[in-house]
Amino acid sequence: MSAPDPAAHVLDLPRRDARDKLTGATRYTVDRMGAGALHAAILRATGPAGRIVTLDLAPALSMPGVRGVAAAADAPGLHGIGVADHPLFARGHVRQPGEPLAAVAADTLDQARAALKAIVVEIDPDPACLTLDEAVAPGARLVHPDWRDYATLVEGGNRRDNIAWEARVDRGEVDAAFADPTMRIVESAYEVGRQSHVPFEPRAAVARWEDGRVHLECSTQAPWTVRRVTAEVMGIAPSQVRVTVPPVGGGFGLKFDCSIEPIAAILARKTGRAVALELSRAEEAASCLCRENARIRISSAIDPQGHIAARDAEVLMDCGAYGGEQVFLTTMTAHTLGGNYRLGAVRLVTKAVYTNTPPNGAFRACNGVYCTFALERHTDEICAQLGLDPLEFRRANVVGDGDIGATGQVFRGNVLGEMLERMEDASVPVLPALSGTLPDGRLYGRARTVGTWFVFVGPSSATVHLHDDGSATLVTAGVEIGSGSMAQGLPQIVAAQLGIAPDKVVVRQADTDASGLDMGVGGGRTTVSLGAASLEACAAVRAQLLEAAAEMLQTPASGLILRDGRAEIAASPGAGVPIPELVGRIQASLGPVAGHGAFTAPGEPAMPGCTAGHFIEAIDIPVHAVHEAEIALDPDTGHVEVLAYRVVQDVGLALNPRAVRGQIQGGVAQGLGYALHEEITHDAAGAIRQTGFETYRIPGALDVPRVEAILHEGGPSIGPLGIKGAGEVPILNVPAAIACAVANAGGVRVGALPLTPPRVLALLRGRGGRD
Amino acid sequence: MPPANSSAESRRLLTPATIPAALEAQAAGARLLAGGTWLMRSALRDEPLTGAFASLHAIPALSRLDLTPEAAEIGAAVTHARLAEALAGIPELAPLAVAAGASANPGVRRAATLGGNLCATEFPAADLACALLALEADVDLERLSGPGRVYMAQFLARREALLPGALVAGVRIPRRAGRLGAHVRLPLRKAGDYPVAIVSLTAEVADGRLSRPVIAVGSVEPVARRWAELEAALDGVSLDPAAGASAAAGLLSSFSPREGIEAPGWYRAEVLPALVRRALAALEASA
Amino acid sequence: MIRLRVNGEPLALDLDPMTPLVDLLRRDLGLTGAKAVCREGFCGACTVHVDGEPRLACLTPAGLVDGREVVTIEGLGRNAPPSVAPVDDAALPTALQRAMLEEDAVQCGMCFPGMVMALAPVLEAEPSMDREAIRRAMTGNLCRCTGYERILDAAVLALRPQQEAAE
Repeated sequence: MSAPDPAAHVLDLPRRDARDKLTGATRYTVDRMGAGALHAAILRATGPAGRIVTLDLAPALSMPGVRGVAAAADAPGLHGIGVADHPLFARGHVRQPGEPLAAVAADTLDQARAALKAIVVEIDPDPACLTLDEAVAPGARLVHPDWRDYATLVEGGNRRDNIAWEARVDRGEVDAAFADPTMRIVESAYEVGRQSHVPFEPRAAVARWEDGRVHLECSTQAPWTVRRVTAEVMGIAPSQVRVTVPPVGGGFGLKFDCSIEPIAAILARKTGRAVALELSRAEEAASCLCRENARIRISSAIDPQGHIAARDAEVLMDCGAYGGEQVFLTTMTAHTLGGNYRLGAVRLVTKAVYTNTPPNGAFRACNGVYCTFALERHTDEICAQLGLDPLEFRRANVVGDGDIGATGQVFRGNVLGEMLERMEDASVPVLPALSGTLPDGRLYGRARTVGTWFVFVGPSSATVHLHDDGSATLVTAGVEIGSGSMAQGLPQIVAAQLGIAPDKVVVRQADTDASGLDMGVGGGRTTVSLGAASLEACAAVRAQLLEAAAEMLQTPASGLILRDGRAEIAASPGAGVPIPELVGRIQASLGPVAGHGAFTAPGEPAMPGCTAGHFIEAIDIPVHAVHEAEIALDPDTGHVEVLAYRVVQDVGLALNPRAVRGQIQGGVAQGLGYALHEEITHDAAGAIRQTGFETYRIPGALDVPRVEAILHEGGPSIGPLGIKGAGEVPILNVPAAIACAVANAGGVRVGALPLTPPRVLALLRGRGGRD
Repeated sequence: MPPANSSAESRRLLTPATIPAALEAQAAGARLLAGGTWLMRSALRDEPLTGAFASLHAIPALSRLDLTPEAAEIGAAVTHARLAEALAGIPELAPLAVAAGASANPGVRRAATLGGNLCATEFPAADLACALLALEADVDLERLSGPGRVYMAQFLARREALLPGALVAGVRIPRRAGRLGAHVRLPLRKAGDYPVAIVSLTAEVADGRLSRPVIAVGSVEPVARRWAELEAALDGVSLDPAAGASAAAGLLSSFSPREGIEAPGWYRAEVLPALVRRALAALEASA
Repeated sequence: MIRLRVNGEPLALDLDPMTPLVDLLRRDLGLTGAKAVCREGFCGACTVHVDGEPRLACLTPAGLVDGREVVTIEGLGRNAPPSVAPVDDAALPTALQRAMLEEDAVQCGMCFPGMVMALAPVLEAEPSMDREAIRRAMTGNLCRCTGYERILDAAVLALRPQQEAAE
């Protein structure tokens, strides 16, 4: 028997969830909060730092409608990634504005909110570290004075003072290269703000305590993470937590971590009632686990041949008051800031830094987006200072077949080089040069940037049941967050593998009671990891079917194929047996037909000894992108209009090309928001000032151009059928391409994001990069 | 489900049918409610929304939109959408038509009223207020003691004192044939957000020269106001957008621009010359 | 007491008249199609029709729809209340929704009920609109997933039969 050709899986399958989403029938978690549930509200700290002197919950309990209250004593455990530093409710000390102090469940939300006001809180304020500068200054006040006491979940990270985690890459003789007088040295520094995800469905959960276990119905990307963290903070067994996930109204990484779910769980346990918790928009914004603000310093030593002999960089990432995802992300600078280009030697020091501000988290391509911005701006600055053509420089220096990456991993294929050629062929620019003046007087700029990101592979499991009606059920912990992976990609794989129509594949809603472990939907991993597990599950089912068919048709299994709902003799179309009949036969003899599949990261090796504090050695599946932006810059107001935008994306195999193009259009739009409009700032107390749609401006229909997308197939991938994740990477190069185009248009050194009209006008008028 | 229906039992909505009835309700403590686009966001501003409210939608006089050769008389309850539609193509009223048709977004324009735009004292980016200033409108106020009329500039400058006990019934805009106008706003995106600066301008244009220009600036300071120095500088000079912008650039020091989350103060002032140029160019195009 | 019709059904509700209409619909009537995303009139996800006109249900006090006809996404294009209408899963009630399905426009879906409620009447009123006019009409409807182009493609597609007939 031969498995179906990868091309047999390719299809522009429509979304199965679109019809209900278009008629308002889809019920997201926020649509399931009526029907007898109590409503919860969270009391949050107002200041950035202080000692909790008094937290008297008793008055709240006597308020009308109140059924239960919860605070630190109800959540003994600490959680975190790399370091367990994060309590669910502030315990003894407040470390960030908006930190949860307590929560109330009442008959109505108004009653719950009224009861919060009755809680007596007294906090003795401490001085706070609100910025990276303050936090890393000698003698800085420690956000976590007891940092040594926290459990370290992964070894190897350097931790000290306000450095939650430090990761390093040291490969080759960096200092020697920088000291070599034949080298040209180019130094750059960049700064970026936070980006808020703004999923239209805020974080929300409904918890029920049933038979000694909690059932959480919640808007999450990672049900198994919610299961684990809820158990950790409550001090119960993970098996006491069940997580199910309705359709999710947008995640973008925000819901890749567990945050509010345990609060609902604790209140459900204490009240014995269903408890609904939904963040208000202002709360969602103020507590958003943003893409972090960061500072990047990068220097390169360029040899006389125009190659990068050495690179030295330091990245400070603001993790806010708790380490979270940023601890892991210190690893990723190696593959982004240290990526794209061949480097003779490299030193990268990346620090996740505690500040007394709201914690940050994962956001679509995470720090890859601003590291690509910094790297590509730096690359253009190298070219400007050395008088090199930026397109030629990239062609000459991008990693190709056999080249090694920052941590010594070996790249295969000339993927970036080929993609640059395809962009060259596709580009029909408005003006021939990279900068100029448009007929209407605006300044024109164009830039082409390269980027490298990865697929965050990791554990997934899948079970496929094949039924005697010819349908199949796919059981995983995958969640449909809008990307189409669960609505399109996975049913396409199962259908093609089993020779049945995609609409015969039922995709079970995520339920940790029904599925095996899964790392969650994010990092471009869904179709790859869940797809690989599904493929393996299907292989087991196929084997059973074909064995039975071989017997029935008196033909060796190797001569049979599954297609159109039948097992057929490949050489004689029409000669075969319907799958329902086959399944019925197997059921009668062996029992129902099912297969299980499992997948995890194979763990691409790196050069031994060149990394410290890294969570992964190398990237299992590199994903490359080439973007080109053409912009018009209004010299009077600093407004940037995107005239044209082109993407060449390394997709491996495009399983559903139309859906991939939809992800690219949407990902670029989100990147344009980060590049041009979306700015998070703090007030004097460290609290996020943009708490609504008036002040946090996501792009509208007039702000986003049509993106021309070219899907570059054939780049090597260990993913099933050769696929790569396609939903995460479209955002990767956008701020880089826009910033380089703005720099070209205005003849200015762009060192900060976002490029809002005030910041651009400040640059043009020499007021400096930040306001 | 997070509605903030605090003290629901204490909230009442009255629908007076006449202006005196609305004033009586107001005297008894009710807050006047027009399109709701400001009041219904009270929770976001941490302001309580309690007590009684008197909706103005059922008072026919407040929905009037009368265009005579001498004047446009517009009731306070007329929405932005209706204004934009009714005033389209009337050259001397162009600033108001543009302001009404470009503010916020279509959904808000269908609800937000002229009166609401004038009475939202905490809202610096009101498009209509700025346009009405440039059009030298008068504001009709009703009180239990009787009606009154104040100049728009006076109204904006003294709103806090004038509004208690009063109801804005509408505006009267004198129509002066031969006068042209323009309204230029600068949101940070292409559309959909409030402008960080507004220039509204009217003038007579004869033989390529401006005469008696009236120039209003909105969103730069907390309240829209006229730019007297620029009016004086442009009176009698030739209609030249670039020259007008240069003149404006030399007269920015009179502004004390407001700092905001969305834009720093310096930016609001520094874009004004460009907005003046655009406004003059629009005037030139319509001349 | 607030008396109104919702999706054709007459109702009398005793509730706080300053309740946002979106909460009346979602909480009191279980009509969760309209989404309360921003609650400040910027996103359009809560758009419903009041007397046939698109309105932002987050900014509309329930008391102001007294005596009015409210149609939500659940009732759009359906002459009878959904419970009376014959079951026809295949039928989407408007050309715009059908075109959105055909163009694979949907991602997370949260903005789509409001997008449909805001755009469908505009397209019906002005079937000659071109792509850029439609784009301007979408100013008050934000989407975080799609980057808008597929939604525009769908609106253009939905108008095509009428525009071709007019040529």
